[in-house]
Amino acid sequence: MILFALLLIPFTYLMLALLIKKAGIKKRLAILFSTLNLLWAMALVPIVQYREIIVVQMGGWSAPFGISLVADRFSVLMLLVTAFIFFLITVYATQSVDKARRKNGHFFFTFGILMGVNGSFMAGDLFNLYVWFEVMLMSSFILVSLGGERKQLEGSIKYLILNLISSLFFVAGIGLLYGKLGSLNLADLSQKMELARANLAVLNPALILIFVGFSIKAALFPFFFWLPASYHTPPPAVSALFAGLLTKVGIYSLIRFYTLFLYYDAGFWQQVVLWMGALSMVIGVIAASSQYDFRKILSFHIISQVGYVVIALGFFTEAALTAAIFFLVHNMLSKTNAFLVAGWVHREKGTLNLKVLGDMFKKSPVWGILFFISAFSLAGLPPLSGFFGKYLVLQSGIEAGYTGMAMLALFVGLFTLFSMVKIWLEVFWKKQPEDSAMEWPVNQKPAHWMLFSSLALGAAIVAMGVWAAPIAEYCQAAAQDLLNPSKYIEYVLGPS
Amino acid sequence: MEYIIAIFIGLLYACGVYLVLRRSIVKVILGVFVLSNATNLIIFLSGGITRGGAAFIPEGAETVDPATISDPLPQALILTAIVISLGISAYILALKYRYFDVTGTHDLDQLKNTDQR
Repeated sequence: MILFALLLIPFTYLMLALLIKKAGIKKRLAILFSTLNLLWAMALVPIVQYREIIVVQMGGWSAPFGISLVADRFSVLMLLVTAFIFFLITVYATQSVDKARRKNGHFFFTFGILMGVNGSFMAGDLFNLYVWFEVMLMSSFILVSLGGERKQLEGSIKYLILNLISSLFFVAGIGLLYGKLGSLNLADLSQKMELARANLAVLNPALILIFVGFSIKAALFPFFFWLPASYHTPPPAVSALFAGLLTKVGIYSLIRFYTLFLYYDAGFWQQVVLWMGALSMVIGVIAASSQYDFRKILSFHIISQVGYVVIALGFFTEAALTAAIFFLVHNMLSKTNAFLVAGWVHREKGTLNLKVLGDMFKKSPVWGILFFISAFSLAGLPPLSGFFGKYLVLQSGIEAGYTGMAMLALFVGLFTLFSMVKIWLEVFWKKQPEDSAMEWPVNQKPAHWMLFSSLALGAAIVAMGVWAAPIAEYCQAAAQDLLNPSKYIEYVLGPS
Repeated sequence: MEYIIAIFIGLLYACGVYLVLRRSIVKVILGVFVLSNATNLIIFLSGGITRGGAAFIPEGAETVDPATISDPLPQALILTAIVISLGISAYILALKYRYFDVTGTHDLDQLKNTDQR
């Protein structure tokens, strides 16, 4: 029941939203239910500290046969950050998303995403994970195109087709894996792979298919093209939600999959993961520096930042996994906040083209500072969360003997700083070019809830930098569990 | 029987990939449908094909020879996958229709407005 509630809360909202017609009541209910979800996720943290891995067997069928929901420390941390971001974006959307969209089910589909994301973080079963992915994707397909503007439709066709293909890879891999091992439960599969150690090559086709499926979802190097082509088309509140949650689910699954399965064949997979991470890091940041659209720059940076998490996964030591988890959390917070600031700029000026914008700092220093915090946290400046994230990644890389990789990460950080400074100068600092100043009606409606969300995220980023030690400690405990799959197996299947 | 189905799946994949690489959006969508059916057949095949074997254990039997009964799980998985792809197919066709309404084109090359330049 404790885990099941995180699926039940969004589901209840979905059912209620179908019955209610008034946009105002839908909005209030959305805030209420996202608060409930946040409170529930917070309550899970002490429980997981005490019980270490929470396992719930759905329908009372015992583990390898029924569907299990599993939440270890890593899952719970992800659930908590998701709930926090989701709550703030819901508050933000009440003022940022226009009324027509809200009336046509904006919140309905964001809750669909929440349900899918919560489900994927808790899935203890490979096919169940696929189903939650689809729940999440289906809602996101609709959110990308909701509103039906031309560029939204273009973006959503690309997004939809590439993500469908990734699902096909994933499900074909599941089919082959089931054919070879005869199970779908993650713990059971991991145990069976341990037994089949001598013949792992037989499983490689299935594992590669699943790996490619996750990589497309996570937007890793050769598979990232759908992301920058679609993330800047929907309303800013939607792209903030996508940037904060969707690719991170792919990364979460990749980490789970690597620590349970792929590490048995580490000689092969470690190199693959390391190089894919390194290339995403470099290509993402270089592509970003040539862009002149606020949200496109941030979209390319998602690819680059995902690379940091993936190289840390490739180092595969306790310190490196700690760094990966810490960096993932930091990235979710900072990236979402950067998108929220972009949403405010879009609301004030009606465009996000850097060449046309200017003088935004004079317009509102508070928003300027909020952008400063999130951007320089992404770039990794000292008192903010990004500094500790990068520091942990670099340190673990050098300790694990990958000095070259660590230097590459440092070099990429320089480029990140370059793009962030570019946005800062072009949007907030320079004078608005007079000839290109377009007519945009001054928005009279209040934006205080938007500011509230962004302030809360900014505070979270600073807090994560100030209290980095306790958070890193928690991440370390999570990393220890990840490195010890026999513990996961024992909790899910029961002591053997 | 497995060989025939395996070759057939290969053919379906080839057709699907060919269609996905076409320029017309409708053909790309059809290609995705073909690919998803090929994938469903992979799951079907992976469970092993037993001719005439029901998925039941006879009453009172203590042990059953696995070669004589078929595995019901892959078919349950396919059922789920088919339902999901049905929903997505309906949505993607509606999206294509709307796109054609707005732009009046079927050409994928016209989609590059939102791309990086």
